[in-house]
Amino acid sequence: MSNLTPIVNDLTEYNIVCMKWGDKYDDSYVEKLKEQCEAHCSVPFNFWCFTEKPEKDYHIRLWNPGPLCHLYDHDHGYFWAYRKAYMFRSHQLEGDTSYFPTNSKILFLDLDVIIHQDLKYFFDLPNDKPWIVRGWWNDPITVKKNYARYKSTVINSSVILWTKGQMIPVWDHVRENAEILFFTYPSLDNYFAHQWYDTYKEEGLLNIFPKGDIYSWYKGNVFPDDMELKKLRTDHKICLFNNSTHVEGVYDDEIKKLW
Amino acid sequence: MVNMVDVPADSFVATALFFNSLSGVNDFDSAKRWKQTFVDIPKEYPHYARSLASATTVAQLESKLWVVNTLENLNIKPKVVAILAGWYSNFLTPLLLENLGVDFVWNFEMDGDVKELSYKFNKKYKDQNKYHVYITDIMFDDLMDKSSKNHLSRCEEKRGPYDIFINTSCEHMWPMSRFRDLNCDLTNDPLYVLQSTDDDRYEDHINCVSSPEELSEQANFTKILYSGTKELDSGMKRFMVIGK
Repeated sequence: MSNLTPIVNDLTEYNIVCMKWGDKYDDSYVEKLKEQCEAHCSVPFNFWCFTEKPEKDYHIRLWNPGPLCHLYDHDHGYFWAYRKAYMFRSHQLEGDTSYFPTNSKILFLDLDVIIHQDLKYFFDLPNDKPWIVRGWWNDPITVKKNYARYKSTVINSSVILWTKGQMIPVWDHVRENAEILFFTYPSLDNYFAHQWYDTYKEEGLLNIFPKGDIYSWYKGNVFPDDMELKKLRTDHKICLFNNSTHVEGVYDDEIKKLW
Repeated sequence: MVNMVDVPADSFVATALFFNSLSGVNDFDSAKRWKQTFVDIPKEYPHYARSLASATTVAQLESKLWVVNTLENLNIKPKVVAILAGWYSNFLTPLLLENLGVDFVWNFEMDGDVKELSYKFNKKYKDQNKYHVYITDIMFDDLMDKSSKNHLSRCEEKRGPYDIFINTSCEHMWPMSRFRDLNCDLTNDPLYVLQSTDDDRYEDHINCVSSPEELSEQANFTKILYSGTKELDSGMKRFMVIGK
């Protein structure tokens, strides 16, 4: 590591990252997320966007092609479903010398989120394990039944918090078993829900954000008591707009109206 | 009172046929336990009502009888059988033990809730120390991996090596060559009984095949003792191969 240089040269510990890959979301989503973070984070942070087309100073280049790209299968989405896994590496580029400083806390946010409250809350969480979204809006019975391969999973990867190095086991597992994982699990959420979180014991590699932190615009908040859809809950930290039945473009205007 | 909505008629018919299929056994205790399990499911395991009904159909029974009857016709008499991804194994385990004279049946299954339900159906064999459910993901963890090595090694010493691996759910997982690679250091040269289908209408059928030949190829069989196709009561076409 001695010949490597940090992505940031100061001692800033907090990093908010997103990912823009392909053309599903345009640049306005990244810009708006950056604006939201600046408006809702009371501690200094660096904002980064992982992308295969780096153009701005906050862009971090993703491999293109990356080590998993040879497994790309458009019809099944094998590779695309796992592109977020690239973030979990210690380094971001093949042959790159950049890396997050040791002990950096990294908060990943999907591009289609609305931030309501101070993101400092997330950085202050205990860092014994990474944190990820528990879909509290899912009927536990349905989730339990569908834990392995279906769309409605117990885990949602729209918001992930980790300290540098904590997600390397995930990256290593994906890299070493990519072909089988891509074949078996249709999404990163399915993969997390089955391989890294025990639905039965409600424990695993990951901590889950508690009820009241993160809710879903299209799916509700907490089953069964607070399931009203398309309702802003500004006393929560973050609203997710991801939707397993999402048809690209259909809901774009809806989130933009709320920006 | 059994709720007919939760336990469809197919399950009742399959259960009746199943008990009628067991060789020389009038097992009223087991029959009563099955009945009570069906009564309990809507209350205690509502999320498993549908899957248990799916596991208890005439078609499911047909496919399991196909396994047992074919082994019998081939004069194959295993002592220790390992069922891979055996689900509740409510049909196959009793058929192997009662009809084929198997001594011990393993069920390697990844669904944690299955254990309790499977033991309800197979209580007799559990109590007789003839049946054991082990929770593991067979496509990622070999049977002698670090986490399970001590337990399974002790069990294997006690029970003897696996004579046959049965997987009637190959359409739900990566090709069986992976399992064979992961477990290439097993202490004997076990036989494999594999079933799959070409029915790709189900979301969790991630690995359908078009023929028994393709199923054999997926398992890297070099010796095939049986290869066949059967249309089940449900209309689903299933393929079965036996080999190594």
